[in-house]
Amino acid sequence: MNLLDIRNLSIELKSATNPILAVDRVSLTMKEGEVRGLVGESGSGKSLLAQAIVGVLDDKWQVDADRFHWRGNDLMRLSLDERKAIISKDVAMIFQEPMACLDPTMTIGEQLTEAVDCDQLSGFFWQKNQQRKENAISLLHKVGIKQHKVCLKKYPHQLNEALCQRIMIAMALAKRPILLIADEPTAAMESTNQGQIFRLLASLNQLKNMSILLISHDLENVTHWTNTITVMYSGQFVEAGTTKQIFEQPFHPYTRALIDSSPKANMGLPAKSRLMALPGSIPILQHLPIGCRLGPRCPRAQQECVIAPKVQNYHGHQFSCHFSLKGSY
Amino acid sequence: MPTLLQVSNLSKSFKLGRNWFNRKIFTALDPISFDVKAHQTLAIVGETGSGKSTLAKLLVGAELPTTGNIKLNGQTLQPGNFKQRCQHVRMIFQDSGTTLNPSLTIGQLLNEPLLLNTDLTEDARHLLIRETLQKVGLLADHMNFYPHMFSGGQKQRISLARAIILQPQVIILDEALASLDPSLRSQMINLLLDLQQQMGLAYILISHNLGIVRHFSDKIMVLSQGQVMEMGETSDILSAPKHQYTKKLIMNQRFQLLHR
Amino acid sequence: MARDKIYLEEEFPSPLLQLWHNFKETPVVMLGFSCFVFLTILALFSPLITPYTSVENHLDFLLLPPAWHNDGNVSFLLGTDNLGRDMLSRLMHGTSLTFGLSFVVVLISLVIGVIIGSFSALTSGIKSSFLNHFLDVILSIPSLLLAIVIVAILGTGLSNTLWAIIMVLIPQFVHITRNAVTEEFRKDYVLASRLDGASSLRILYHSVFPNILEKLISQATLAQSSAILDIAALGFLGLGAQIPMAEWGAMLKNGIDLFYIAPWTVYLPGLAILFAVVATNLVGEGMRHALKVSKEA
Repeated sequence: MNLLDIRNLSIELKSATNPILAVDRVSLTMKEGEVRGLVGESGSGKSLLAQAIVGVLDDKWQVDADRFHWRGNDLMRLSLDERKAIISKDVAMIFQEPMACLDPTMTIGEQLTEAVDCDQLSGFFWQKNQQRKENAISLLHKVGIKQHKVCLKKYPHQLNEALCQRIMIAMALAKRPILLIADEPTAAMESTNQGQIFRLLASLNQLKNMSILLISHDLENVTHWTNTITVMYSGQFVEAGTTKQIFEQPFHPYTRALIDSSPKANMGLPAKSRLMALPGSIPILQHLPIGCRLGPRCPRAQQECVIAPKVQNYHGHQFSCHFSLKGSY
Repeated sequence: MPTLLQVSNLSKSFKLGRNWFNRKIFTALDPISFDVKAHQTLAIVGETGSGKSTLAKLLVGAELPTTGNIKLNGQTLQPGNFKQRCQHVRMIFQDSGTTLNPSLTIGQLLNEPLLLNTDLTEDARHLLIRETLQKVGLLADHMNFYPHMFSGGQKQRISLARAIILQPQVIILDEALASLDPSLRSQMINLLLDLQQQMGLAYILISHNLGIVRHFSDKIMVLSQGQVMEMGETSDILSAPKHQYTKKLIMNQRFQLLHR
Repeated sequence: MARDKIYLEEEFPSPLLQLWHNFKETPVVMLGFSCFVFLTILALFSPLITPYTSVENHLDFLLLPPAWHNDGNVSFLLGTDNLGRDMLSRLMHGTSLTFGLSFVVVLISLVIGVIIGSFSALTSGIKSSFLNHFLDVILSIPSLLLAIVIVAILGTGLSNTLWAIIMVLIPQFVHITRNAVTEEFRKDYVLASRLDGASSLRILYHSVFPNILEKLISQATLAQSSAILDIAALGFLGLGAQIPMAEWGAMLKNGIDLFYIAPWTVYLPGLAILFAVVATNLVGEGMRHALKVSKEA
């Protein structure tokens, strides 16, 4: 059974002039224990999608979907409060700049004890206090911070980014979620720290069988740590499949371009030669192309591309393109 | 090819400490010497705190060096004399959001360095701005737009236009490519390579992304905590690193590159 | 023949125009703004439009109630005070005194405060520290109290009151300017300007001021409502505008003794002060709201 099953989710920006589809019919499925990467450049709507799943979007966005199932329950039929109750119990999210996500006026200890789940405590209120503290310490141990005494008394600005991200992960783990959504967790970090955080996420996935949705703009970075990948461009679904399929045989021209712009592909090129790049730039929300939004930049675009392509499936490798690269493999 | 930029014994140290007696000296950069030729790119690699931003600021003149001097084409660049320096050495910053003044149009933004440093008439300036915008791949109409209307990639191009408009000889890229998306990064690299060919520029690239460094640079310098760990040709150092620190850096990034 | 706009042209306004568009969105704020404009026009043109002058005595019509009362007279629309002077004309003249002078006061203290603040931000070390802390000490004293002290030193009279209030309002602007300019100087575009060879003064004028203008304007509206209240309060205490002048606070002082027999001599100036302060505050709120919205967008 699929953990998360979303079909044709669209997020529309309600505005007076004409509504803009920031996310246009994207489908996403996740199984238990799977690490899926959601890759897209800026403006692809990946953060919006994650926020729509968790339910924290503003009123100015309107979310529609054909199917939005969580562990078999149809969430579209429930009221907003019931949906939030179910999702907040099982889904946790960590964000991009961890130091900015922590309260700068409280110590780490105070914030962690605040995050501890009240349902898991029992007894009288003085016992609960002690249990809360013990819970906080055990959470820190789970993310690999051994010297909890030193850490609990510090303020966020005294720690570095990687440590703050670990604390964010610890807070996310407090409710024992089944799915962890990581929205570009290592964007602001250097490579050594990035490796630490990814290794932590991988160990959490293996030990606790926790599914992870890893959002990133860097395809190369993510391919090492994920089982499956979904690629989005400018709010539209581009390609999805196992990491091996996507990396070795990309069907969509955009995925191909992303892979070509990664350092690994360029190892073969002579130094200081021109790189393969798609011309043009990412369309802004006010000027979205009709049909397939890659149309103006795509080297294989033709007349039919003004109609949005449907999703085709080939051995579990989904892609939406009229003129895919499937034939060339 | 003649040496364009020659740096000898450049170092920077700060005095810390509040009281007059006990002033600690913090060395941001130990004495360093190197030179760069035209059509060449020197990459400076290191983690935060290694002194690479200090080096960039010293080269462009934003800070005064404690010792040493910088020579361009044999002429010493005087520290503090911006007018002399800005015609030859220009810099592109990392965060494109704050490098452009939000209340000036692009035309006014590009006009300013021309007003301050050249004697061109208004028409000549206008023409030069149009040409420069076209060189970086923007339209001449963009002159009347404000910075907030552009995307990140376009803002970096405007920064590049501002850098090349005075026809300098050395451009310092202070992590300019780090915040761009991968596809835009490739476009920007192609543009920089073209300009290097056309104008004979020398680039000093400060980055911690070894993939870009490998592709884009001829020589590489590895800094750690203000000291030079290794310096030499890029292909030599990246294939056979001698110092422990360099090996660790490559391991961290290659680990994700090759492991498949 | 006018050319119709056939194609959907996108307009790209400058940041200040954008601010104005955001400002126009809220209806309540536009109401306040129109009241503000109304008061400004009154302040500028009151000598031309008042039915009577502010000091003309009509001894036959002492303490006449407003026109809607049974005893009222329509030629004195809002009644007269105990010396037979027409309330409407006095109120209108008072606009130019209380409201108009508050505007002038704020303008002068804005200019002086910005100059001192920028100077303080450009220098560093002991000089700037001294300036900043000295003025912060002045900030800690309540404005009205400080104004009373200064008037006690300089003597009573409207011009002395104005100087007192100017001096009291300067520290706010120094503080705001200094903070805003220091923050702007940290940004990269100022460094880029400096590297182009611009002098500090040029950087201030071209790069920094357009960006801090919005903060200064919102602080100025706050200061103006405080200035209106201070001028009125000093007039009420007898330290500001002297008796024949039609300043609202002085009118209140006049009318207080007659409250039970002629309440309109008290509530009409009071309402005028309320109206002016509310209009100024609405404009200030609207400006701050527009700033917030434009920062988010």
